[in-house]
Amino acid sequence: MTPQPITDWIQLQDRFYRKQEIYTMIWKHMDLSKYMIAGAPYGGPIAMIRDDKKVLLLQKQQPVKPTIYLYTSAGKLMEQLQWDKGRIVTMGWTDTEQLIVVLEDGTVRLYDIHGDYSQFSLGKEAKDHSVIECQIWGTGLVALTGNFKLIALTNFDEIRPLMMADPGLNDPPHSWTVIPPQYTLSRHVEVLLATGSTILTVDAKESQEQPFNQGPFTKMAVSPNGAFLALFTNDGKLLVVSTDFQKIFTEFPTNSQASPKQLVWCGTDSVVLYWDQIVLMIGPFGGYIKYPYDYSIYLIPEVDGVRVISSDKCEFLQKVPNVTEEIFKIGSTTPAAMLFDALEHFDNKNPKADDHIRNIRPELTDAVNSCIEAAGHEFNQSWQRNLLKAAAFGKAFLETYNADRFVNMCQTLRVLNSVRYFEIGIPITYTQYIRLTPDVLIDRLINRHHHLLALRICEYLKMRIDRVLIHWACAKIKKSKDDDETICRMIVDKLSNKPGLSYAEIARTAYQVGQPKLATRLLDYEPRAADQVPLLISMQEDELALIKAIESGDTDLVYYVIIHLKKKLPLGEFFRIISNKPMACKLLEVYCKQQDLKLLDDFYYQDDRRVEMASMAILESYEQKSLEERINKLKVALKRYQDDKEHAFEAKAIDENIRLLQVQSQLEKELEQPLVGLSLSETIHKCIILNNSSKASKLKSDFKVPDKRFWWIKLKALVEMRGWDELDKFAKSKKSPIGYEPFVEECIKAMQQREAAKYIKNCEPAVRPGLYIKIGDFKAAGQEALLLKDIQLLREIRSKCTNHIIAQELDAYIAQASSR
Amino acid sequence: MSHLGTSSSTLNVVTLRELARKELTTVLDSVRGKKCLVLDPNISGPLSLIAEFSLLRDHGVEKIHYLQQGPLETELTSLIYICRPQLQYMKYIAEHIQCHQNEQLSSPNTTRYEYSLFFVPRRTRICQKVLEESGDDLLSLELDNTFKELYLDGDYTSIYYAARALMRLQTLFGLFPRVIGKGDCAKQLADMLLRMRREVAVDDPSSTMSVSQNIDSLIIIDRSVDLITPLCTQLTYEGLIDEVFSIRASHVEVDSSIVGPAPQKPTVTAGAATSTSTATSSQPPMPPQPLAKKKKIGLNSGDKLFARLRDMNFAVVGGVLSSVAKRINDDYEAHIISSSGLCERDWNVRHQAKTVAQIREFINKLGGLQSEHQSLRTHTGIAEEIVAVTVTPEFNKALEVQQNLVAGIDINTQNEYIEEMINRQVPLVQVLRLLCLQSLVNGGLKQKNFEFFKKEILQTYGFEHLQTLSNLEKLNMFVKQVSNRNQYAYIRKSLRLIVDEVDEHNPQDVSYVYSGYAPLSVRLLQCVATKSGPSSISISNVGGGATGAVTNASGIRGNGWKGYEDVLRTIPGKTFDEVQRLEDGAIRPKRLIPGQQPHVTLIFFLGGCTYTEISAIRFLAQQDESHREFVIATTQIINGNSLLNSIIQKTDHPGVTNGLS
Repeated sequence: MTPQPITDWIQLQDRFYRKQEIYTMIWKHMDLSKYMIAGAPYGGPIAMIRDDKKVLLLQKQQPVKPTIYLYTSAGKLMEQLQWDKGRIVTMGWTDTEQLIVVLEDGTVRLYDIHGDYSQFSLGKEAKDHSVIECQIWGTGLVALTGNFKLIALTNFDEIRPLMMADPGLNDPPHSWTVIPPQYTLSRHVEVLLATGSTILTVDAKESQEQPFNQGPFTKMAVSPNGAFLALFTNDGKLLVVSTDFQKIFTEFPTNSQASPKQLVWCGTDSVVLYWDQIVLMIGPFGGYIKYPYDYSIYLIPEVDGVRVISSDKCEFLQKVPNVTEEIFKIGSTTPAAMLFDALEHFDNKNPKADDHIRNIRPELTDAVNSCIEAAGHEFNQSWQRNLLKAAAFGKAFLETYNADRFVNMCQTLRVLNSVRYFEIGIPITYTQYIRLTPDVLIDRLINRHHHLLALRICEYLKMRIDRVLIHWACAKIKKSKDDDETICRMIVDKLSNKPGLSYAEIARTAYQVGQPKLATRLLDYEPRAADQVPLLISMQEDELALIKAIESGDTDLVYYVIIHLKKKLPLGEFFRIISNKPMACKLLEVYCKQQDLKLLDDFYYQDDRRVEMASMAILESYEQKSLEERINKLKVALKRYQDDKEHAFEAKAIDENIRLLQVQSQLEKELEQPLVGLSLSETIHKCIILNNSSKASKLKSDFKVPDKRFWWIKLKALVEMRGWDELDKFAKSKKSPIGYEPFVEECIKAMQQREAAKYIKNCEPAVRPGLYIKIGDFKAAGQEALLLKDIQLLREIRSKCTNHIIAQELDAYIAQASSR
Repeated sequence: MSHLGTSSSTLNVVTLRELARKELTTVLDSVRGKKCLVLDPNISGPLSLIAEFSLLRDHGVEKIHYLQQGPLETELTSLIYICRPQLQYMKYIAEHIQCHQNEQLSSPNTTRYEYSLFFVPRRTRICQKVLEESGDDLLSLELDNTFKELYLDGDYTSIYYAARALMRLQTLFGLFPRVIGKGDCAKQLADMLLRMRREVAVDDPSSTMSVSQNIDSLIIIDRSVDLITPLCTQLTYEGLIDEVFSIRASHVEVDSSIVGPAPQKPTVTAGAATSTSTATSSQPPMPPQPLAKKKKIGLNSGDKLFARLRDMNFAVVGGVLSSVAKRINDDYEAHIISSSGLCERDWNVRHQAKTVAQIREFINKLGGLQSEHQSLRTHTGIAEEIVAVTVTPEFNKALEVQQNLVAGIDINTQNEYIEEMINRQVPLVQVLRLLCLQSLVNGGLKQKNFEFFKKEILQTYGFEHLQTLSNLEKLNMFVKQVSNRNQYAYIRKSLRLIVDEVDEHNPQDVSYVYSGYAPLSVRLLQCVATKSGPSSISISNVGGGATGAVTNASGIRGNGWKGYEDVLRTIPGKTFDEVQRLEDGAIRPKRLIPGQQPHVTLIFFLGGCTYTEISAIRFLAQQDESHREFVIATTQIINGNSLLNSIIQKTDHPGVTNGLS
């Protein structure tokens, strides 16, 4: 029987803490004090490099060149990276388990677990003044420069280092820390700087001094939920305050003047301080627990505790979870404890088991749930099993119990135990696992190249497996020394029965490692056209890229390829690729019309599309500033249309257009009025307005303007210039081809009722009454209506008439009309 | 008159709105503190459909400017630009930054500006912000000129947009079990949709789409299939508003004198404006309007009166308005009587209590009356303005020509009338509407007339319209007659496009929207989407249209286009009918709740649709006894003017240096 769970419990006031040993370290003879260390949370890896500030005895087997070692939590060496760059300021880990190394000159390197890296610079300010310290959290970092300015980078996916507000410091801060964006009110990163006896809060916009003067603070740490701040003063006091500095929760004198090597949070519950050979844990209400250590250790804070790494073991220090305490606390009589007890009695064939169950009957469901949860919190597999057994035992007494919770926990524990296995070395707790999500855990496994385990877990939890397979394939390609054929077959064999799997990334990897043939072969398996295009372009597979882009239907993508090809290829070659692809041609035309008329002209020319070239020339003609140029362009168009019998009309129209422009330019000089650009009708109109009827008539005959239109134009022009006599003459010049109603209407529009009246006489008798009504001459309207013998109309006129005398006359007409 | 999509079982398009809102606020929150929003003017319309000003203010937006040429003056130092990725906008922004830098050079103390630029990439714009147009049954992508792009330029970008948008709907509501349609571009869209579905499996196979529980099919109608309908003058209330004032993003701008003063100033406090009240109080997030007499009015079904009027034939609208006016008047009077009654009955405590309750009820009612009153005033004003147009001889003459053309009545005078229009120099678009209509219904113009009109147009409106005419010819909208066979006449007869007896007050058929002409597009829909097809009306137009037995409750005709093959052959464009299956080959959702047959049909108009078509489809839904619902989606809403304007060549005759001046 394994020891009781409570043997490693220590009581601190009203609560218990436990420190469990998880691994015996695989590494041997490790002196942590000589290293600069960075540990990743969620049971992540540990990075270390010899600290150049500390003296180290040179031993035989150690390389002289500095090396970054990457270990699992169980002390298994995963990778060692030769370090060839400058001085390291800080190391840290991202949420995706990439190692960040910040250098003095502002360079930042991002390493994956296998030593591949990318790097970038924090900018000129950092380079000029150098980085002296740096704080790193899961998605970003803040660097402190030698001139005490702060540079923030909030997203490693989007490298955009920004200067924060100037804190205005002249000396380095005593200590400092950051509150990651997800925990601040503003959702932007905030920096806390200990200076003088107080603290400055700095964000992107401003630097603000806090009304909090109990410093100087030599060490500080923000709790994992961003709500609390632990501060260590230079007179040895530990303070815990809210991050808005409104409330002080704990004040604890440690009697140590020296500031601790590490100050970290144990969950959000207590604070752990580490000096040489001593670990002090201070609880929320001021009590403390002391753990002595003979060797140097390293503390890695977790959301629910602290991982303690020492030369020989990895331990986990945490507050005993509530459910666990309920069950195992000595003398506990909670239903869950009773249920757990009952199982033991049952196993011992003791009838007390029945009594227990009977006693807790009403709360049995809760008890079962508690046992399930407590199982999740155990590292020890036999206790997990015992707790689950107790839950199963209790479940049997319940008529209705949804077993999902039980099943899920069993599954989860299987997953947890498998990743905790020392060869894998991820000592993740249940709480951390829930927070991290299974998806991220899978990512971490495949990053460590535990593909098979990742695949098994995915299948077991019914998750998508394609990213595992894709990652595996990429890793395979990177490592493999086989020929194209073999690798391709191997990959396709493994992946073929998984529909909807994207090959683009695998192909890209192949291309990147210098296997373009393999890349092309693999890309053929990619179902998404859009994903094939960028890679095909980078692989110089130009035509194929264009074909795939067209297949995708995404016109942006087609444009992307077209423009790329145009830049890259000689014009002839470019046209050759485009010309047999109608969609590409159409898009090129659209693009050119907006951006590059010259290219379009070339394109039409090589394709011998005369009609299009003609309309191009016309389009271009409008853009010409000088008339001569414009006419020249039109002549080009004319020539092109003339080559084609089908377009005789167009040729004639362009010819007319040219003639019109020439006439207009001539007239402009004579009449000193701008005319170019007007239509033919407008030009005629203008001539009339400018008292130049002969010119108007000449235009009419030159351009064969129909009589009707000419009459309209002249009528409107004369009314506009109020040439009533001319209008009269014009009306009488011959019988109007448009009749005389338009004359009446136009005069009415110009408010010339009397002029209008003149022309009513010339209109058809049937429309005359209506026209008279329009000009308000009810008497004349009545007379005309009488002639038409339209009594209905007469009545209508009568009803509209307001003049008494005329009304009487109208009455007379009505009488007259009805009498007949 | 209830609208479609109000029942809970329908598609909840509000989710789409919520998605778009969330994205917007994330963008706004990414910049700290107070900020100034600089908007692409073309986005502000759609933006106002998803977010009201108070939402922007809650996320720190203090001021909104339009992104335009010239310096930007603001005291705020955080600037957020939201625009589409277009060259000219980049130039403006560069100008702004340049300008600010110059400021700093001249006076180093000025604050430094911070710029954030967000593109509304087409993908986001189109696919994720499928905008709710107005009412619950209409989705519009608010794209401009799709018809021209598709058929004149051969630029299929909008098909891609449409496909992404429809994919979005499929992920939300499930696979469309069936995709039916007509037209070449419609076929492209359907193909792309099927292709994207295969691709989406790569992105997220875990969410293998199931077949939709409420949508029974997607019907794609390509605008090229029916160009006749948009060229006709719309005769419904909303259609005429669009013809006369043109509606943009559910808003119409009218002279403020038309609608009269608002009863009270809209309160400025956040959240005070209720979204359900009339248009005047719903303030779209707009920069302060320049001092113009124009007033923007929102047209949506939130306005009860408008909801009632929008689909009616305009001939009926006057009567409805006056009866509403009378009812409101009566309500007011009733109110006055009851409140005066209060004093008389003051002696009786019990009665008093009763009357107090009455008063409260009355006061509550009064609020409703007021908004109703304002709405009445607005719509009376708009209707009057429309009447002023519809009584003109020009309007009636043009309408007469149109109606004769679509009815196939050939009168010689119509050419004379069109010639006169040109001579009167009415706007070219009006001339082209009639000429194109004539060409479409007659299979082209006789050569003599064709060349005559072309010449008249060129000489009157300018030679640049040579391009316009060639565009129209390419689109087959204005062509020379080559054969005597008249396809349209056959279509007209077989689909019963012309209905002689139309009772606008109590319509029996969709033809009421054009007072006698049934939109060809809607007739095609009837072929597939209603049990009895377009011929039903002739068989039984009495007795509430209770045609056929109710045995087959699943609304969509199982046989698709069957029975209409001949007429479809005469209409240009491919015809298709595809069934979407799940991976396992299942066609139907695995388990259907009994009695919960899918009963929503999604209709997608590629290249735009008119308000009359929307009204006609709503009418169909009301007629259908199986409670079929139609949700209409379109690339944009069009009318004859906007359709032709996109095709007309625009030139702004640049001044030419000619030795003169």
